Amino acid sequence: MKSKILNFIVLFIFPFSVFSQSLLEKLESIEPDSSQYVMATFKGTRISIGHSIETRKKNTLEVSFMSRYWNVPQETSNSFIADRMCTRFGADYGISDNFTIGLGVGAPNGIIDGYLKYRIIQQKIDNTGIPFGVTFMQSSTYRTRSIIGIEARNSFYEKLAFTSQILIARKFSRKFSFQIAPTFVHRTSSNFSIDDHNHFAIGFSPRYKLGHHVSLVSEYYYVANPLKSVKTYGAFALGVNWEVSKLLLQFKMTNNQIFNEEGFITQTIKNFNTRDGNFFFGFHATYHIQL
Amino acid sequence: MKKIILLVLFICTKSFSQNTEYIERQGIVTFFSYTSAENIQAQNTQTLSLFNTETQEIAVKILMRAFVFKKALMHEHFNESYIESDLYPKATFEGKIENFNSQEASQTRLIKGNFTLKNITKPVEVKAKILKSKNTYTISGSLDVLINDYNIKVPAILSPNISKKIEVTFSFKYSNYEK
Repeated sequence: MKSKILNFIVLFIFPFSVFSQSLLEKLESIEPDSSQYVMATFKGTRISIGHSIETRKKNTLEVSFMSRYWNVPQETSNSFIADRMCTRFGADYGISDNFTIGLGVGAPNGIIDGYLKYRIIQQKIDNTGIPFGVTFMQSSTYRTRSIIGIEARNSFYEKLAFTSQILIARKFSRKFSFQIAPTFVHRTSSNFSIDDHNHFAIGFSPRYKLGHHVSLVSEYYYVANPLKSVKTYGAFALGVNWEVSKLLLQFKMTNNQIFNEEGFITQTIKNFNTRDGNFFFGFHATYHIQL
Repeated sequence: MKKIILLVLFICTKSFSQNTEYIERQGIVTFFSYTSAENIQAQNTQTLSLFNTETQEIAVKILMRAFVFKKALMHEHFNESYIESDLYPKATFEGKIENFNSQEASQTRLIKGNFTLKNITKPVEVKAKILKSKNTYTISGSLDVLINDYNIKVPAILSPNISKKIEVTFSFKYSNYEK
């Protein structure tokens, strides 16, 4: 008796229940949505002054112009808007979706730099797998002229510096992302024997999206073993990123004039405030070209 | 013995119920936005669709991430700012082909149904061409999607670059669905 009822259920009700499923529901059961990688944890290759976990897509080129403007304290100057300025022209190219290289030339500080960045881990949208993204960044700089006289300048080799960063970032929500960047800086030479060649630092960078195309960003770098020959401060930046189609505009207020990691992380000699000499205003324009 | 007969019967009914169902796993959906400032085109070749020749029902699932653009930045903007694919990963269509004749080799029919994009469902009517060959059906056609209908917001500065009316074309080739 029991088995008859069971047979009845299996024969008539079960196929019927399959039928009652709508075609769309059936589609879902055939191929459930696969989990996707998180996109756009940050917008540009730079959060504000430092690197973000973002790489460029394959075969895309970005040309960028970075600038800083500041006033010199106690100077009776007739300068228009700002007493001093510094710029960097750069190019970033995506060799593959996960591998980006970049080059830059700074003027008038004369820093030539190059970097490469490889995305190791990508965060997934539904929090399966590793809950954050990881990108490795390696940059090197060559200083054609002395800026604050930290490095010895007797040979080509002595003017080099290298920065390695492991960028770890998580997109917590659609609006909020946070990056932690353990950093190792190696400078090939020091002018003063009390200065260490190697520095360990860590960067903290939050991003909050104010709208679809505007976000508020900040960055702070803490150096574990700062320079001893000169008093340095942690690099700080507060800025707004605005994206207009192919153009990304990054406005920032900061306490340093150097665009390169080894420079601003270890050699920021001004604390952040709005007084002349300490306050640096900058903007960074990036234009995107699809090759 | 009885059990075996029942089992055979069960399998028969199962396989019968499958016979009128057709599937397409690599359907092509393309959209175009024509403006004087810029032409935008993207193609999705992973569209999933089921078609039941008996009930004349048709269902389509389009993953938004699978749209491929010529320019990588457009792909990011499309997903991040316009379609918001992290919130709304797919578009779906569910409808019926009116007066469908499963024997005719070539026919043009109206498909009536509901199209869902960004969680907004609107009734749509699409004129589609249906071709039959041996054991496959090919359904193709096009429709216009108004971006204002589906809460797709374009910033004023970019409104000359993105058309208010997006032309969507599709081509699905169905073969018999066997589990």
